[in-house]
Amino acid sequence: MARETREKTNVQEKQLIRDLATLLNETGLTEIEIEKSGLKVRVARTVQLTASAAPAAPPAVQTTARERAEAESKRSESDPANHPGAVKSPMVGTAYRAAEPGAAPFAEVGSRVTEGQTLLIIEAMKTMNHIPAPASGTVTEVLFENGQPVEFGEVLVIIE
Amino acid sequence: MFDKVLIANRGEIALRIQRACKELGIATVAVHSTADADAMHVRLADESVCIGPPPSSESYLNIPRLLAACEITGADAIHPGYGFLSENARFAEILEDHNIAFIGPTSEHIRIMGDKIAAKETAKKLGIPVVPGSVGAIETAEEAAHVAADMGYPVLIKAAAGGGGRGMKVARSADEIAAAFGTARSEAKAAFGDDAVYIEKFLAKPRHIEVQVFGDGHGQAIHLGERDCSLQRRHQKVLEEAPSPALNDAARQHIGKTVATAMQKLKYRGAGTVEFLYEQGEFFFIEMNTRLQVEHPITEMVTGVDLVIEQIRVASGMPMTLTQEDVTISGHAIECRINAENPTNFRPSPGQITYWHPPGGLGVRVDSGAYQGYRIPPYYDSLIGKLIVHGKTRNECLMRLRRCLSEFVIDGIDTTIPLFTELVRHPDIANGMYDIHWLENYLTTRED
Repeated sequence: MARETREKTNVQEKQLIRDLATLLNETGLTEIEIEKSGLKVRVARTVQLTASAAPAAPPAVQTTARERAEAESKRSESDPANHPGAVKSPMVGTAYRAAEPGAAPFAEVGSRVTEGQTLLIIEAMKTMNHIPAPASGTVTEVLFENGQPVEFGEVLVIIE
Repeated sequence: MFDKVLIANRGEIALRIQRACKELGIATVAVHSTADADAMHVRLADESVCIGPPPSSESYLNIPRLLAACEITGADAIHPGYGFLSENARFAEILEDHNIAFIGPTSEHIRIMGDKIAAKETAKKLGIPVVPGSVGAIETAEEAAHVAADMGYPVLIKAAAGGGGRGMKVARSADEIAAAFGTARSEAKAAFGDDAVYIEKFLAKPRHIEVQVFGDGHGQAIHLGERDCSLQRRHQKVLEEAPSPALNDAARQHIGKTVATAMQKLKYRGAGTVEFLYEQGEFFFIEMNTRLQVEHPITEMVTGVDLVIEQIRVASGMPMTLTQEDVTISGHAIECRINAENPTNFRPSPGQITYWHPPGGLGVRVDSGAYQGYRIPPYYDSLIGKLIVHGKTRNECLMRLRRCLSEFVIDGIDTTIPLFTELVRHPDIANGMYDIHWLENYLTTRED
C-alpha cells in the first residue's frame, strides 16, 4: 500500500517537472523554482553563449556631477518617505484600514481629515493602536493593504 | 528544528547568527534600527523589519517592538546575540510566556548569574573556587572597613548588578575604604539601578582566564577549553587567545572538569562562560556569562565546534553534537577586536569605510559586518570586526597574525589595527607573559 502511494507520488512529481519544463520553454524564462507541500523543485536552463564579433564600443556616457545630483534628487523626490505629508508608522505591527472587518475604512484617497483624526489602526501583541493624522488635509495616497505587516518608519498614508 | 529565527542584535554578531541559521536551513529575520538599514546581515537575511530609530532603548532593547516583529513575521525563536537583551531574564521569561524560543539558558539561570552576589554563592555551592570576599551585600562603610581589615588590603568593592568589568572600585588601605565604598554605591545606583555592593580580595597580578561551557539543559554539560583574555583596557577585552599560555594540560583539565561538573549539576542549557582570575596557580571565580561571548571564535578555531549551531540545536530540543571525549583542542588561536577608534587616544571614529581589504589564507577568519562603502553609525559600540587567526602552534599563530595585520586595509576611518601591529611585536606578548594590568601599563608608558 505504501509502495503504491510512493509510486503515485513519483509519477506526480515527474509530471510536475515536465510541466515546469514546458512552461520554461513557452515563456522563455531561464529558471523556475516552486515549493509545495514540503517539496521544492527548481528547473533551470543553461543559456548557451555564442561568441560573436565584439560589438562596437558604445559611446562613453559622461554624466556631470550636477546631472547625477539632479537625478538623485528626482529619485528622492519620488520616494514617498520624503514627501512632507507622509505619515510614517511609529511602530511594528499589522495595519488595518478599518476598526473591524466589514466596517468602513477610517480614510480613503480623497478623504478630508482633521489633525488627530484616526487614519488607521496598527495591531501589535493584541493591542489596537489608533494612528492619528499629524495635520489636517486631504488624503492623497494610501500605501498599505488591509492586514499588511508594517515596520517602523514605513510610509502608510500621504496627506496634503 | 526552528523554521524561522529572529536575530535580536546587530553588527558582526548578527551576521554570525545569520550564517549559522543559513547553514541549518533556517529562515532569518533581521530586525534593525533606521541607522542599520544598510547593515550586511540585514541585506543577507530573508526578511527584515525596521523596529525603531537609532537609540537602542527604542530599537534593540525595545521588547514590545521585538515581540511585534516576531508576531508579524511568524518567527518561532529569537537569538539575542551578546549584550543588549542576551542576559535579560525578564526578556527570556516574556518569550517563554509567548511560546517563542529564547536561544540561550533559562530565565532562572540568567537571573542567578546576573546577580553577582548570588552567582558567587551558587558557584561556591557547585564546587567552583571563588575569590575570598564578603558573604552577601555590604550595607555600611563600617561593615566594609571591618570586612576589608579581616581580608587584608587591597580590596575591590563591586556592584552586585554590575559585571563586564563595570562598577568596581579599589581601596588600597583603611584610609580609602569609606570613600571607595560610597562612590561604588552611588555609581552602581546610577549605572545599574541597584546600589548593592560586595567586597572581594583585590588580586595584584592575575590573568583573566575563562572556560567555555555548554549544556543541553538536561544534565549533560561539557567544557571546550579556556581562553586567556588578560589584555584589557578599562576592563574591555582587546585581544584574546586560546589556549592560555599560562596553563599546562593538567591545570586545564582540572578547571575544565570542575566547571563542566558544576554545569551538569545546574542542568545548564546552551553556551556559557565561567570567568576566573588566575594567580600563582590558583583559580578564583569572578562571574559567569550566560550567553555567547564576543571571543567565542577562538574556541571554535581550536575545537572545530560551531557554537552558534550548537546553541540553536539545543534550544530547539536536539541533543548536543558532541560529548566531552569528542572535544579536542588543536593548535592555537588569537583574536584581535578591531574598533573604529584612534589607536593612540581611542577616540571613536565613526564614518564611511572607503577601502576595505581583509586578509585571507589558511587559518584566517574575519568576523565583521563591514564592507567597502559601509557607514559606521555613531550610535553603537565601536567594534567593527574581529580578526581571528589559527596556527598549529602559538608561534605559527603569531607569525600568521603579524602577516594578516600587515595585509588588512581599512581606509576612511581610524582603527586600532596599528595598536595590534605593535602588540604582536612586543616580547611580553610573544612570550605570553602578561596579566590584566599589562595593557594599561603599556599604554601609559607609550604616552611618555
